[in-house]
Amino acid sequence: MDGGSAPVGLIQRSGERSFAEEVKKLQLGAGEEFHGEAILAVTKALLQAGVAYVGGYPGAPMSHLIDVLADASEEILEPLGIQFEQSASEAGAAALLSASIHYPLRGAVTWKSVVGTNVASDAIANLASTGVTGGALMIIGEDYGEGSSIMQERTHSFAMKSSLPLIDPRYEMTKLVAMTEQAFEMSEVSNLPVFLTLRIRACHMTGSFIAKDNKTPQYNLNNPVPEPRYDVSKIVLPPASYEHEADKFAKRLPAVRRFIREHGINEVFAGDGGRYGIITQGGTHGMVARALRQLGAADGFGNSDVPMLVLNVIHPLVPEEIQEFMADKDSVLVIEEGSPNLIESQIAQIAHANRIDCLVHGKDLLPMAGEYVTDVVRGGLAAYLADAAPGQMRAAAAANVKSIDNARDQARACLADAMPEPLPPRPPSFCTGCPERPVFAALKLLVRERGPMHVSMDIGCNLFGALAPFHVGNTVLGYGLSLASGGAVGPVLGQPTIAVMGDGGYWHNGLTTGAINAQWNRYDTVLIILDNGYASATGQHRVPSSGVTPKGVQSGISIESSLRGLGVTWIERVDSYDLPETIAALRKALDARGQGLRVILSNNECMLAQQRRKRSQKAEALKAGATVAEEKFGVDAEVCTGDHSCMRLSGCPSLSLRPSPDPLKETPIAHVEDTCVACGHCGEVTHAARLCPSFYRAEGMVNPGPLRAFASCINRGLLAMLGAS
Amino acid sequence: MSGDRPLGVMIGALGGQGGGVLADWLTEAARIAGYPAQATSTPGVAQRTGATSYYFELFADKNPPAAPLFSLFPAADDVDLMAALEPTEAGRALDRGYVTRRTTVITATERIYSTAEKVAAGDGTIPTAPVLEALENASGKLLALPMRTLSDGAANQANAILLGAIAGSGILPIGADDFRAAISNKGVAVAQNLAGFEIGIGASGSESEPKTAQTFNPAPDGFADQLAAYAEPLRLLIGHCLARLVDYQNADYARLFLARLAPVRDLDSDAGGALTSETASRLAAWMSFEDVIRVAQLKTRPGRITRIRGELGIDAAVPLKLNDFFKPGHGEITGFLPPWLARMVPGGKQKLAGEGISISWPTGSAPGFAALKFLAALKFLRPGGSQYAEEQAAIEQWLGAVTQAAGKDYSLALQTARLAIWARGYGDVRSGGFTVLAELFADWDRRLEAGLAELKASVDQSLLLAHANPDAPPPR
Repeated sequence: MDGGSAPVGLIQRSGERSFAEEVKKLQLGAGEEFHGEAILAVTKALLQAGVAYVGGYPGAPMSHLIDVLADASEEILEPLGIQFEQSASEAGAAALLSASIHYPLRGAVTWKSVVGTNVASDAIANLASTGVTGGALMIIGEDYGEGSSIMQERTHSFAMKSSLPLIDPRYEMTKLVAMTEQAFEMSEVSNLPVFLTLRIRACHMTGSFIAKDNKTPQYNLNNPVPEPRYDVSKIVLPPASYEHEADKFAKRLPAVRRFIREHGINEVFAGDGGRYGIITQGGTHGMVARALRQLGAADGFGNSDVPMLVLNVIHPLVPEEIQEFMADKDSVLVIEEGSPNLIESQIAQIAHANRIDCLVHGKDLLPMAGEYVTDVVRGGLAAYLADAAPGQMRAAAAANVKSIDNARDQARACLADAMPEPLPPRPPSFCTGCPERPVFAALKLLVRERGPMHVSMDIGCNLFGALAPFHVGNTVLGYGLSLASGGAVGPVLGQPTIAVMGDGGYWHNGLTTGAINAQWNRYDTVLIILDNGYASATGQHRVPSSGVTPKGVQSGISIESSLRGLGVTWIERVDSYDLPETIAALRKALDARGQGLRVILSNNECMLAQQRRKRSQKAEALKAGATVAEEKFGVDAEVCTGDHSCMRLSGCPSLSLRPSPDPLKETPIAHVEDTCVACGHCGEVTHAARLCPSFYRAEGMVNPGPLRAFASCINRGLLAMLGAS
Repeated sequence: MSGDRPLGVMIGALGGQGGGVLADWLTEAARIAGYPAQATSTPGVAQRTGATSYYFELFADKNPPAAPLFSLFPAADDVDLMAALEPTEAGRALDRGYVTRRTTVITATERIYSTAEKVAAGDGTIPTAPVLEALENASGKLLALPMRTLSDGAANQANAILLGAIAGSGILPIGADDFRAAISNKGVAVAQNLAGFEIGIGASGSESEPKTAQTFNPAPDGFADQLAAYAEPLRLLIGHCLARLVDYQNADYARLFLARLAPVRDLDSDAGGALTSETASRLAAWMSFEDVIRVAQLKTRPGRITRIRGELGIDAAVPLKLNDFFKPGHGEITGFLPPWLARMVPGGKQKLAGEGISISWPTGSAPGFAALKFLAALKFLRPGGSQYAEEQAAIEQWLGAVTQAAGKDYSLALQTARLAIWARGYGDVRSGGFTVLAELFADWDRRLEAGLAELKASVDQSLLLAHANPDAPPPR
């Protein structure tokens, strides 16, 4: 690989993180109690179900599944003969499931949805058509609602259009583990790959269950499948493709419905057996039960007088179950997160087709969009119960919702009284010392110099460049798509566009859809690749150019050689912390009109990963009495002019403010926190933007060698003579 | 049906503050104590600084009749304890309805400023007091902990101190030893965190903030009579101004300050002398404009190196490398040459970002320090210099505007005095500010006659601009 990637190639284990504790939990045997996060419990369930291969693409909230298995090679994967890979993209992960088409192999893949499902859609749709022999499970982290970093959509419609079972389980650890294992059976009886969806908070939910032994798959790396199979009916071509479609509705989905009925997957809680009731997704059951308790209609154990049907599978629905539930009811409230209201419409249709005289409520009482947190669900429930519930419950609900709203409003009024201005927003941003920050400082300075430019952004940390203080970045269209998304912009603007892309995005989709497309169509574009060695936004996951695979094997793939392979000749590598160098390279690239794609590789390791490694090394070095540098930037309070120009070119968490000790200064002054890692950006900005000379860099040499100690002793003497102290 | 409700604990923090570890400690402590519990979080992405929240529920009965139903979300008027590692994050929880009379709030008092607050050219920071006041009034009980005071500087113990305070609050039925055991089991910086826990468990919330009070330097000798000419309450400030200017140049320069201030004082109709003090502080600040000589003087102040050693946490014996970042433009370099000579020095043309002389000056080395000392000693050259001439001219123009306004309208005079904020920064920032003032003061007297309302509006507008974020994108 090219030398430029060297700093990144040096990394040894995945971000220096260890998942030894988690790996132990995955080895628990029958009867032992597992205690931990839900996403780890689901991983354990895969092993208990005898999964033969696992793949996935990292992304919150289910990165953990991949991280842990990557660390579990010797202890778990090898003995059980399980195949594992961190795929290059969600499409790659989904394509793995093709192993279950012909062979009785249970396979599971995972990614963040809905974005990952979009990327994987080609493979998934083909797989849904062909059908599977071995159980095929897609565990998707539904990144919807608070803490989400993507566009707000649900995966439900996707499951429906490809006729895929979608499990949305009630969040109770034992239930969750059981459903994960049952998902494979469901897939095998129906020949359909299955979705298991988990919301962000559910993935991080802690709890416990009684473990079973891990199961060795019938066929595995230690016991290969006897021979390859050929079956033309598995090829997605006419006439098979028409048969596949017919089978989905004649055989496969009916098989799923039978399985749901036979195994009581969906749950009915009779309540008081009244002529009203609630139909909810498994995933929103917890919020419903809590809201009912707040309204006085349930106790703390989830027992309620309100009749309830909990759909732990939201596609396909089982019409018989719905009919039975609605049969003796005047009305039901369907609690379904997100839009369109697919469940509600189907239920209304079922009622209509079967002439059931039951009024179907849903989005008429609940919001069309947004996460159904307890506070939201409570409002809709109160409205429904006030209309449909028996008198006593009706009164209690009305009274309780009123007192809760009053309590909240009175409290919020205290805030409004004390501070009329709203609290400042606090979006995530670049970490202290982030090597990506200087690139956006450079772009901001360049905009000041040359006027507005069109910068298309990518998925990942780099996208924070579009926020304060940089405000650089005009569009974002998907992972690895920044370069392609500028294609039609440059020509109409009559100026070269800039595309920013992380190394994660480059390998995910940026090389093919971006670089190749741009090179082929001779884009007049500047591509800045932030080569920091990881997909950092997901928590320092390896990318092909990290130099090593997640399992620690040398990979020897480099961004630069891949670009040269395409015939890209204009490539410059810059030290991301060197602001003048970066600005100069950008000027040069922008002015190289007519030379096609120009690429700037901005290189330095992700600071989080670097610090995680260095902190321990430093501690050891200090213990061993070796020479260690204590470095930090600082600001001279007397010199700082307090106009905060530096803040507007940095946004570093460690560069903050504090009140000025000088009565003559009216504004707070800059201040460098102890968390500073001396990346040098403050000094670079001072120089590049001609800021005030208040910044200094200080470096202390702990445990100096005798020579250094002697020299410094003389220096101190001289300084004393000069009146320094 | 409320006897069987679990206790709800919400944690508000910023990414990287250790909120996740705190949630893990709670979960582990509950497990050790044998109480049914559940924790969850929205850690969001891996980056630091974003607001994150964690939610923990515990059922206060070790052997419940059935499995308690825990929730993944806090709900309005359903949170018993709100623990925050930053006060506005506690405020955010209040804004979302999670803090009510039912709630005990334990929060760190140190502000961690958001980018939105930092980028304002003026003071965009949100003070802590009103947030705490709101929390006090809205909640059942507020425990406000100055973490730095408590941890004696080691801010990284904040989450452990918070855990201690949670244990101390007695809201959870978990014993202190179970919390200690949880810290040990978790295995993260155990000794340090156990120490933090002990601090927190004893914290009462009455601990006082470290004071960063502004201090006035005493007036230099020989100015007693002149000071007497000012109302008592103003003397502290005037004395401070005089001390500043004597240190900056000499006693004559300080007298020039008094001579300039006198007319404003005589026009000041306010008993408290608001205009006089407003003008005095800004005049002294402007008159001590930072040229290379001043910067050299400040960078070689006695005590500076000791202070910086303190920041690094190294003692006097440890070798120290100290570099200052200078980017003198043509104006600064030639600033102390007489105008005719300054004009003859080449390189006056506008430089692009990253161009020009960039100096990383070795102030920590004896030769580097000596050179700055020498530069500082050149202040006798200053009055003959071109920069001095420009600054004094601008000062006179501003003062003239203030005095003229004072004769017409007191509030306008006050605002005009405040316009001096534009005389700030270096290079482009400073020259930009001077242009703004020049435009404002052009035919000032005519505009004073023409109509005060319009003039006031433009002055107020200019001050708003001076304090706002100049890079803010257009509002949506």
